[in-house]
Amino acid sequence: MTNSREALIRIEDLHKSYYDGEAELPVLQGVDLTVQPSEMLAIVGASGVGKSTLLHIIGALDRPTGGNVFYDEQDIFDLPDKELARFRNERIGFVFQFHHLLPEFTALENVAMSAIIAKQWGGDNNPALQQGTASIIDARAHELLAYVGLSGRLTHYPSQLSGGERQRVAIARALMNHPKVILADEPTGNLDQRSSEAVLELLWHLNAQSGQTCIIVTHNQALAERADRIVHLVDGKISEVTQ
Amino acid sequence: MKFEWFVASRYLRSRRKQSFISLISIISIGGVALGVATVILAIAVLNGVEHGLKERFLANEAHVVLMLHGSEFFGGASERIGQIEALDEVVAASPVVYSQVAVFPEHSKRIQDVIHIKGIEPAKEEAVTGFTQFVVGSVDFQDSPLIAEAEQLSDNTITGGIVLGVRLADRLGIVKGDILRLVVELQEHPINPDTFIPDLSNFVVIGLYESELAVYDNSFGFIHIEAAQKLYNKANRINAIFVRLIDAELAPQAATRIEKAVEFSVLEGFPMTRTWMEVHAPLFAALRLEKTLTVVIEALIILVAAFNIASTLIMTVMEKTRDVGTLRTLGSSRGSVMGIFMIQGSVIGLLGTLLGTGLGLTLCWLLSSNSVRPSPWWAFIVAVPVLCQVLIALRRMAPHPNGLKTALVLFWVAAFGFGLYCLVKPISLAELGLSQIYQMNQLPIKVNWFFVGFINALSFLICWLATLYPAWQAANLNPVEALQHE
Repeated sequence: MTNSREALIRIEDLHKSYYDGEAELPVLQGVDLTVQPSEMLAIVGASGVGKSTLLHIIGALDRPTGGNVFYDEQDIFDLPDKELARFRNERIGFVFQFHHLLPEFTALENVAMSAIIAKQWGGDNNPALQQGTASIIDARAHELLAYVGLSGRLTHYPSQLSGGERQRVAIARALMNHPKVILADEPTGNLDQRSSEAVLELLWHLNAQSGQTCIIVTHNQALAERADRIVHLVDGKISEVTQ
Repeated sequence: MKFEWFVASRYLRSRRKQSFISLISIISIGGVALGVATVILAIAVLNGVEHGLKERFLANEAHVVLMLHGSEFFGGASERIGQIEALDEVVAASPVVYSQVAVFPEHSKRIQDVIHIKGIEPAKEEAVTGFTQFVVGSVDFQDSPLIAEAEQLSDNTITGGIVLGVRLADRLGIVKGDILRLVVELQEHPINPDTFIPDLSNFVVIGLYESELAVYDNSFGFIHIEAAQKLYNKANRINAIFVRLIDAELAPQAATRIEKAVEFSVLEGFPMTRTWMEVHAPLFAALRLEKTLTVVIEALIILVAAFNIASTLIMTVMEKTRDVGTLRTLGSSRGSVMGIFMIQGSVIGLLGTLLGTGLGLTLCWLLSSNSVRPSPWWAFIVAVPVLCQVLIALRRMAPHPNGLKTALVLFWVAAFGFGLYCLVKPISLAELGLSQIYQMNQLPIKVNWFFVGFINALSFLICWLATLYPAWQAANLNPVEALQHE
C-alpha cells in the first residue's frame, strides 16, 4: 500500500446498503482505497456492482452506511449536511454520463453557477473567488470555456449545443472552483467516438498539465488502461488494483 | 445577484424557452389577481352602501335625542336646551313634539295610514338636521298661501300646514294644497258611551319631504311645534330634544354628558338618550356581518389561488428535480434550494396581489366615475385583434428583442384598460328599479385604503405560506435520486 500520509483521499471499510422496506440490499461491502494527489484513477466493474455509488460517496453526495472517507485526514462524514454541501462546492468537480446542465441557463451561466453558489459560502477556500465579484467569476468562466474549446458558444443554451459540446461545458463547470478532485461517472458513455475522444483528451490534458486528481468510473477498457491505476470492483469489494 | 434570485427569476420567465412568461405562472398570477380584485371591489361596494346610508342618516337626523321614559311631556324647554347647548361638543339643540297619528285625506272616510309626526320649531330644527334642504315647497307652517287657499275652499277649520314625506303623499294620493286629516285620539261619544268619535285636525300639505331616505319619505310628516302642542293640549311642553354634535362619532360620550347636564325632577320622569348609532344599530350590524362574511369568502378565493401556486410549484419541483440534483451536486445547500422555490412562489403571489390591487382599484374608479364612455362595441373591436395577437405572441415570442416584448405588453395592458373603460360604467340602481330598496340611485363605491393594505398583506402571506411545502419538498430531495430522475 502506498504511503497513506501523502494520500489525498483515504477510504476505510466503506459499506453502503439500500433498504427496500425491511430487506437490506448491500451494494458496497468493505471498500478500502487510497487516492494520491494528481492521480488518474479508473474504477471499472460490471453494471450494478456499485461503481457509481462509490463515486457518489467519495463526492459526498450520499452518506455511507458504514466506514469512513478522509480527505487530507479529515473524515468528511463527520460534517453536517450544510458543511457537506460547502465541501462539494469547494473541493469536488462532478462530470456525469448525462451532462446535467441547467436548461434555462446559457453555457457561460452554467459554468459560472458553482462560483455563484460559492459566493454564498464566502468562497474563502478559493483564492480566485475570494473577492467573489461578478467580473472575476465571468472572466474565469470565459477562460474555462475557451479552454474546452467553446469560446464561440458562450450564450448558447444546452439545447442549442451538441452532445460533445454539452459534456465539455460540464467539464468546464466542474473546474470552475479549482476543485481538488474531478469525479467522472461514465463521462463518455453517451457520446459518439469523436466526441468521446475530445472529452477524454480534455481530462488527460488536465491531469497531465495541472496535476488535477481524477477518478473516472467507466465500462470502457481502453479508457481505463490509460489511467495510472485501475480499480476493479466485484460484488461491492475491490477485487484487484492494477497499476 | 443573489444565487437564489438568479435561479428563481430564470425559472419564472421560461418554462418552455419560446414562451415569454411561463403560461402556468401567468395562470397562477391571474388567480391571485382575480381574488384580490374581487375582494377590493366587493368591500368597496359594501363600504359605499354603509357610507352612503350613514351620510343620509346624518343629514336627516339628530345625532342624539333626549326623551323621558314613556315619551312623557315636559316643560322648561328653552332652559333645558340652553343647558345642552352649553356643552362643548353640541352645535345645536331643538325642541320637538314627537308622536304617531292615524291619517286620511279630506275626501276619504277610512283611515289610510299611521305616520310619524314631528312637531318642530323650523329655525331650531334647521340648525339640527338641515331640514329645509329636503323640502320641496314651503316650510312656512303658519302663513303659507296654500293654507289661505284651502281655508277658502273648505268648510273645515285648518290647524296649520304639514310637510309630508314624498312617497307617503304618493301613496295617499294627495298633492300640495290638499287637506290631510290627523286622528290624534278618540273621544267617548257624549250620547252613546260605547262608541268613540275621532278627534280630528285638518292640515294643509304645504311641502313635500324628499330625502331619498325611505324611512322619512315613506312615513313622516312635519308640523309646527305649536300646532303639535295644540293637538295634545300641551301648551309650552315638549317630549323630545334633538341635538346636533360637532362630530357624529362623539354621540355615545355626548349622550352621557347630555343626560347629566339636564336636570329632571323625579316627578317629571327619568331621562333617556338615544344616539343615531343605537337607532340604526341593527342595520350597521348587518352590514358589518356582511362585510366580515365577504372578507372570509374572498379570503377563501385567495386561498384557492394559493393552492394554485402550490400546485404550480409542486409541478415545477417535479420538472426541475434533476436540476435540483445538479444544484445540490454543485454545492448549494438545502436552504438555497428551498429559497429558490419560495422566491418563485412569492414573486407569483406578489405580482398577483399587485395586479389584483390595480385591477380592483381601476374597477372601483370606473364604477364611480360618471364620465361619458365610448360605445361598448369599441371594446369588442379592440379586444378581438389584440386577443389574437396575445395568443400568437405567447407561442412565439422568443425571437423578439426585449424592448419589443415590453412594448407589446404595455400595448396589451393599454388595450385591456381601454376595453374596461368602455364596458364598465357606474351601475344605476334607479334603472334597475332598486333605488327604493337601497335608498340610493347609483351603486355606491368607497375604497377603504386601510383594508386594501390589509388584503394585500393577507394575500401575500397566504401565497407565501403556500410556497413552504413545495419548497421544503424540493430542499429534501435526495441529490443522487434527483440526478437519476427521468
